[in-house]
Amino acid sequence: MLGFLTARQVGLDDPLRLRRAESTRRVLGLKLNPDRDVDRIHGNGINTIDIDAIEVFHLLNYSSLWMCDKCKIHCSNGWGYYQCRNRYVHKFSVETVQWYPYDTGMFVSSSFDKTMKVWDTETLKPAEVFEFEGNVYSHHLSPIARKHSLIAVGTKNPKIQLCDLKSGSRIHVLHGHRGEVLSVRWSPRYEHILASASADSKVKVWDVRRASGSLFTLDQHNGDKSKASSEAVNTAHNGRVNGLCFTGDGLHLLTAGTDDRMRLWNSASGENTLVNYGKVCNESRKRLQFTVSRGCSPEFVFVPCGSSVAVYALHTGELVTMLRGHYNNVDCCEFHPDYQELYSGGKDCNILAWVPVLRVSDVEEETSRENKVQETILDEGKFGNLLHQKKITSLP
Amino acid sequence: MNRKRALVSDTFMVKKRRNGTETFGADGDRDGPTDVKSSLEYLRTLFPRKLFNDTLPQIVLKHQLYSIHHDKTLVDKEVSKLREQGELLMFQLGFDSEAFGLVFASDYKAKVLAGEEGKVTRAAVEKFLEKAVSSCTDLSFSKDKMLKEFLFTDSEITQLVKSGVLTVRDAGSWWLSIPNSGKFTKYFIQGRKAVLGMVKKSKYSEVMKADIEERPSTSQVKFHMKYHIHDIVGAELVESIPTTSGTLLRFVDS
Repeated sequence: MLGFLTARQVGLDDPLRLRRAESTRRVLGLKLNPDRDVDRIHGNGINTIDIDAIEVFHLLNYSSLWMCDKCKIHCSNGWGYYQCRNRYVHKFSVETVQWYPYDTGMFVSSSFDKTMKVWDTETLKPAEVFEFEGNVYSHHLSPIARKHSLIAVGTKNPKIQLCDLKSGSRIHVLHGHRGEVLSVRWSPRYEHILASASADSKVKVWDVRRASGSLFTLDQHNGDKSKASSEAVNTAHNGRVNGLCFTGDGLHLLTAGTDDRMRLWNSASGENTLVNYGKVCNESRKRLQFTVSRGCSPEFVFVPCGSSVAVYALHTGELVTMLRGHYNNVDCCEFHPDYQELYSGGKDCNILAWVPVLRVSDVEEETSRENKVQETILDEGKFGNLLHQKKITSLP
Repeated sequence: MNRKRALVSDTFMVKKRRNGTETFGADGDRDGPTDVKSSLEYLRTLFPRKLFNDTLPQIVLKHQLYSIHHDKTLVDKEVSKLREQGELLMFQLGFDSEAFGLVFASDYKAKVLAGEEGKVTRAAVEKFLEKAVSSCTDLSFSKDKMLKEFLFTDSEITQLVKSGVLTVRDAGSWWLSIPNSGKFTKYFIQGRKAVLGMVKKSKYSEVMKADIEERPSTSQVKFHMKYHIHDIVGAELVESIPTTSGTLLRFVDS
């Protein structure tokens, strides 16, 4: 580490290199946050989490319950939370939630009650409701789109619907899958490329500007027909494919399937890079939300695996560590690239924050910190008319 | 390739060597380059030859290598390199879509030809071994390929299937296979089940690796215990946990 710092000082190394080295060191030291807990405010399991990329201090998460669902927004400054009005909430479990990519004025949520709602953050009322024929498993808004504002929606129907935010229309439909579409994801590199994963074991990559079908289908054997039985032709996995994630630069795509495997693909050519992650336990009937780190070298994949989160190195497939802390199945996890923090939510109704703990503090430091904590609580009280629930930070 | 600068990942992933201190408990295996060929040779010695009266070549399963080397992607790369060089042959064993058997090419050819002594099908098999097996590294062959590329006739293909070198996959395609390997598969599955049962029945479903290797083989387990242990660890049916008194094998409930 000192070597990197000296090289940067002297000018031998690019500044980016030091940043990557420090990010990697922090990710390797991820541990359960010893100081604070995210409030246990939901009565039910957490299905999905999204962290807003612009202001980077809001955390949005959704719970699942049959009857009433709440959407909670956390501000990491004061850990306050906001709740949507009961009249407008979804009737069944909420599957996916995502901030509008450009600001936190809006977010979109979709649920098993066959609707997708676009919410206004100020008033916490839905501005638009899209209805569908089947359960909505997943939706995604492109994070870099300038020319279009389409939301791709994956439902129980094998057709992928594209809903336009500007006009409210949903005439654009992508045909090609034969089973329910469990996950859709836009590429973070090209605004027109969309990847979709389905229960028929196939993963298709689409260019939404094209009139005809998908660009290509991912094949786990890379065209080598001799490897497996002939039914497995052109399939990405030997079971349902329920997780999709692009890497930060958009050059690679990760897919996870119920055959307990995770595969890394080259997103331009569709070639399986044949990285062997071993057995990645996957029993999810719905979408699996996993995430890739950004800004580290090597990149890490965080996958919920039973009641812990498994951390794999992206390109070598090696299991780095298992983050244990949840009491029940983990459903979703999300990485905060600027602070190198991981947030995971699960069926035990907890959201756990995993932070880099690089240095265990000494006893002398703790007593001085005690005084500082008292001050911050007083400061937060000055903040305006927010629906607040203060979390007293516990002393380490 | 000589890098002028070290990779960022090297700073964090390299483990320092301990000088002179005794490593008690579980042995680490991360130091040193992965030598897949020597592990293959070692696993080969665990295969019981006299059980099959020396008719079968020594078969090693690909996932057994994963229990010896920790980096699975590297193992895969080395195995495909050896296959490209023509030294190793890979077979789809049939009982699990992910279980691949590896046999050294020289072993395979020797045993197959020895098995074909005095049989009618000998000529076809020799031709097949020379042409198809030496040049092509596929696991299965389709009818088109057999007829056009390798110029086999239909009757020759029938003879190959009869001799056991090809097994039917579906209409018009065949797997490459090892003759008389049915017995191997049967004993293997039986043995795997028995060893897993032993681990499962133990208190807390876990057992020390050294312990179970010492146990006398029951009538169900026809192979060497170590062969089965490498297999179940590599296939991730049990979790291998290093402890201060050795490696612990814990049954994975999936």
